[in-house]
Amino acid sequence: MTTRTFSHCALALAILGGLTAVSNLALAAQKPKSPAKPAPAAKPAASEEKPAAPPAAAAPSPLISAMQEEMDRNLAVLSQQKPATYFLGYTITEQQVAEVQGSNGALLHSLENRSRWLEVQLRVGSYELDNTRRVGERGPVFGASPGTPVAVDDDPLPLRRAMWLETDRQFRTASEALLRIETGKQIKVETAEGQAPDFSRQKPQVSFSPRAQFTLNRQPWEAKVRLYTSAFRSSPTVLNSIVTMRAEARNQYQVNSEGTRLQFGRLHYRLELYIQSKAPDGMDINRYSNFDWADPAGMPSDARVLERVKGMVREVEALTAAPLVEPFAGPALLTGRAAAVFFHEVFGHRAEGHRQKDINEGQTFARKVGEQIMPEFITIVDDPTERRAGSTDLLGNYPFDDEGVPAERVTLVERGVLKGFLMSRSPLTGFPASNGHGRRQPGFSAVSRQGNLIIRSERAVSNAKLREQLKEEIRKKGKPFGLLIDDLEGGFTFTGRGLPQAFQMLPLVVYRVYADGRPDELVRGVDIAGTPLVSLTKIVATGDTPEVFNGFCGAESGSVPVAAVSPSILISEIEVQKKETATDKPPILPPPHHDPAAKGVKP
Amino acid sequence: MRPRDTSFLLGVVLACLAALPAAAQVQRAVPGDADQTLRALRDEMERSRERLHIKDRERPYFLEYRLLDLEVRTVTASFGAVVNSATTKNRLMEVDVRVGDYHLDSSNFISEDAFQGFIGSSGGVGIDRDYDSLRQDLWLATDQAYKQALESLARKKGYIRSLATPPTADDFSRISQPAVLLGPLQNADWSSRKWEDEARAASAALRKFPGLHSSRVTYYLVFTTRYLLTSEGTQVRVSRSLAAIEASLDTQADDGMKLHHFYTAYTLRPADLPDVASVSKELERTGTELLALRASSPAPDYAGPVLVEAPAAGALLAQMLGPSVSGARSPLSSASFFERMMEGLGGRSEFSGRMGTKVFPAGVTLLDDPTAREFGGVPLLGGYEIDDEGVPPQKVTLVENGTLRGLLMSRRPGADLTQSNGHARMAIQGDARPLMSNVFFQPGQTQPAAELRAKFLELCKAAGRQWCLIVRKMDNPALALGRQEDFMDLFGGMAAGAATGERVPLLVYRVHVADAREELIRGPRLTGLTLKALRSVTAFGDDARVTHFFQNPAPGFAGTAFAAFGSAQGGIPASMVAPSLLFEELEVRGARGEPRRLPIVPPPPLTE
Repeated sequence: MTTRTFSHCALALAILGGLTAVSNLALAAQKPKSPAKPAPAAKPAASEEKPAAPPAAAAPSPLISAMQEEMDRNLAVLSQQKPATYFLGYTITEQQVAEVQGSNGALLHSLENRSRWLEVQLRVGSYELDNTRRVGERGPVFGASPGTPVAVDDDPLPLRRAMWLETDRQFRTASEALLRIETGKQIKVETAEGQAPDFSRQKPQVSFSPRAQFTLNRQPWEAKVRLYTSAFRSSPTVLNSIVTMRAEARNQYQVNSEGTRLQFGRLHYRLELYIQSKAPDGMDINRYSNFDWADPAGMPSDARVLERVKGMVREVEALTAAPLVEPFAGPALLTGRAAAVFFHEVFGHRAEGHRQKDINEGQTFARKVGEQIMPEFITIVDDPTERRAGSTDLLGNYPFDDEGVPAERVTLVERGVLKGFLMSRSPLTGFPASNGHGRRQPGFSAVSRQGNLIIRSERAVSNAKLREQLKEEIRKKGKPFGLLIDDLEGGFTFTGRGLPQAFQMLPLVVYRVYADGRPDELVRGVDIAGTPLVSLTKIVATGDTPEVFNGFCGAESGSVPVAAVSPSILISEIEVQKKETATDKPPILPPPHHDPAAKGVKP
Repeated sequence: MRPRDTSFLLGVVLACLAALPAAAQVQRAVPGDADQTLRALRDEMERSRERLHIKDRERPYFLEYRLLDLEVRTVTASFGAVVNSATTKNRLMEVDVRVGDYHLDSSNFISEDAFQGFIGSSGGVGIDRDYDSLRQDLWLATDQAYKQALESLARKKGYIRSLATPPTADDFSRISQPAVLLGPLQNADWSSRKWEDEARAASAALRKFPGLHSSRVTYYLVFTTRYLLTSEGTQVRVSRSLAAIEASLDTQADDGMKLHHFYTAYTLRPADLPDVASVSKELERTGTELLALRASSPAPDYAGPVLVEAPAAGALLAQMLGPSVSGARSPLSSASFFERMMEGLGGRSEFSGRMGTKVFPAGVTLLDDPTAREFGGVPLLGGYEIDDEGVPPQKVTLVENGTLRGLLMSRRPGADLTQSNGHARMAIQGDARPLMSNVFFQPGQTQPAAELRAKFLELCKAAGRQWCLIVRKMDNPALALGRQEDFMDLFGGMAAGAATGERVPLLVYRVHVADAREELIRGPRLTGLTLKALRSVTAFGDDARVTHFFQNPAPGFAGTAFAAFGSAQGGIPASMVAPSLLFEELEVRGARGEPRRLPIVPPPPLTE
């Protein structure tokens, strides 16, 4: 899983920068890695039983009637054209964002802004065959990611003018695409998946919830950001720190030609801590941690954050001094937060429905429905209607997806048997309807994505017992040690056919665990190598305490908030290799604040 | 420190702004200055200069710290509704370390392989103006810049060994005395007016024009403080401000031709921007002109006399002069295809190697004067107290009585000249390069505008023509509204003709000889307009006017025909003073292209 990367694309779309924008295309290649990474969250107590509260009713925004009026006016003409428009939908995403970011003891920026982004979904042809059909090797049409910024003032006429122009543009793109598809279709071999219709029929939804918004005095946040980043400077091992506090109120207004009219929103707060360091041989050692909360009262206390800061500092200090890992194959125990990332990457992405349809994708699970794909004590659901696991808010919670379909709890694996897929409104043979997983970042077209991926086990033992079982596995296999993987950075899941069907995730905190009673030993530079389907079958037992991973997952449809909930898992065999090392050595001079010979600073 | 990335470049507008009129004296330092920023810059530079060294490798011979404090207020409105309103404050740091010596150093080299550091030598740093965080950030950036310089010099030496004739010019010119200019700090203040209300009210004027497809009015106010500290002893702190209104409007003619128009107002201080009533009036005039353009007939092919009127002449000259006024040489490049590509965009200098020869018609003088403040009561935007390499600016006579006498220089020596004359300018990242400031195009002999027009009509008649062309406004695609795809169309079309001097006017009138009646036409392109073509200027007006323009900081574009296409939102300001130009003969290509069909659905109403 890559994170955040796609959000840059949205920015690029939002800013019509003339010549400057062109030059940035050339600069894109130089972009350094984004500091923000997905991350595990706090350990909650187990509880996933609370049903999602039905959204409270509210009056529709004036935007809804303006959108409805302009949609009707456009549809009246465009439904009579050749090719005819058979579906027209509009979404306005309103974002209110406050962000305070700091580094090394000072603020980098502190701002608040509001924006609205209009998207038009226009389809020509029919539900069975329309302009979105992918034929052969042809990828999605560039420029089909629909949208334009619109006014934040509730003035209907400027909005309708923007809708009119964007609709015309979409109609032109869609008509051209359908013509190419109809021509191309005749010479391409049809696959079974290719027989599925292009768009599912869904029941219209009408629901209006109150607008999500916040009022925030940023000064206390600014003080916190300075405090946390200053705390990181206490260690000479921490070379650079970035702390971000962010509040986001996001509201969606949707209307479509099937009769759906929706208004819903959510509030989300996040604190991210990120530090960079280097081992003596130049290897980059980075740590990341985050807190997410939905209610202002859920903000972590300074004491709790500073405790986390200390923990991260201890980890980088230990990691920079730790020995390098040697290639190894043997048993491994993944803690809950690591296991959550593991399932998200290895299983979750491959359960996304649109991947089964695309012949460029590996179609890992396309023909495996009804087959045993993992041990029979494992059941996996994706449930965006879950708001919390224990006391932790789940980031993948939403009432309706970005195609206006109510979120549904989907059983993906039942007792080890593959049961279904995450579905958007792009149907599969045997799966004709959406289950409310069509998601996207504003500026991208929705595809099926994960929400809250929840792993349950019927072979749960206490975490202490699980550790004992790891040692038994080590002895049974005659290995010198096993691995305890405490934190995984979501790597990138290679699902394209041109790439090996292997996954790479970066285990950030890994210990060698010895069966003979020696203490655990931290190692660094670990890369996991292996085949996803195989590793899923090698889970031998799980812990009994679910842990939550909250993060932003980047894929074709941009960056979307997701969660994964899993207990710790024991895998009988995992393969690890040495990570590539950076060539850039640690800084030549000591940090100014830890340099006794430096002038002007207090040591 | 936040490493630089693409989104950051997009979001943060890089500006190099006009100096405040109140000029400080070079060599003036404030005694007992309590600026923590300066203290941190000095202390970390001293530590680096004394101790930054990898055993058995070259030591740095030059270090440079650069900071840009950027406070920006932007409000964009469309048809009376606010689309975006933001206030941002950022501090950008860039550190340069050079190894080698003034003759051959780690700079001026473009290689396919770049140093892969973990954080880089530039990025956003703390805005608290505190000491401690800046020391930390400078420490990391200096370390990265030094390692980068070592790698770059090693690769450059390797590349030079592969050349038949190694370059002989120095990489970096010396300065006689480092400048110390510590100007007063100026804080951003945009409280004088209600910018959101103004943008809303001004943009609402365009609701009277339902024939427009879209429109956008942007108020852009910026305050900057720029710091520059070098190991040679240069110390600079200058605060500046700039304010702009940029509006763009677009529509489509009945035959599908895409059309746009724009309005701009630029001042040095936010308080000096025109009020809502005058902006509304100007927007209405612009809207009326665009609708007239929509109703006009497509331009036919043409060859004959062309009168380019004063404000348009300045914009035209800016485009033509851009690639030629710099005397700095191009960097060595192990990938020279990039340079060839840029030459294709009109980036070849017509002045290089021609010092002392006739380049313009007799009598024409061309000056670039960063110390000029106004012309005929109109404030100029291109002035500055000190250039971006810390060199005090000089007034440069580029052309004297038609003969090439000088070029604009930074500290990068060229084939014709070696010393800087204080014309290095930059956005935050990359090399400082010689760019225009306040340019004066002064003919020897001029004629009153009315006489010039009469002469134009006579020429037209003598050529046996019924009508001839007047150019009243040049286009600037950087200000055109439109989506990225439209922009790419426009840019692609212009790039194809840039090297051969194809220029795009916005308002062109057909003037009938019989009754002097003027008739707007759309879609023409002036062709063959390289500097050489100025020799066919047969008369000059006495109506010199000021045209403000912004030089595009985009990598590569800065030295090409596209350099003059910038916006206040990121461009480097300049002013051109030039009179009307009467060309005896120009070729004009008529309207071409494959117009898009009109929207199928009629437009929705713009007024209740």
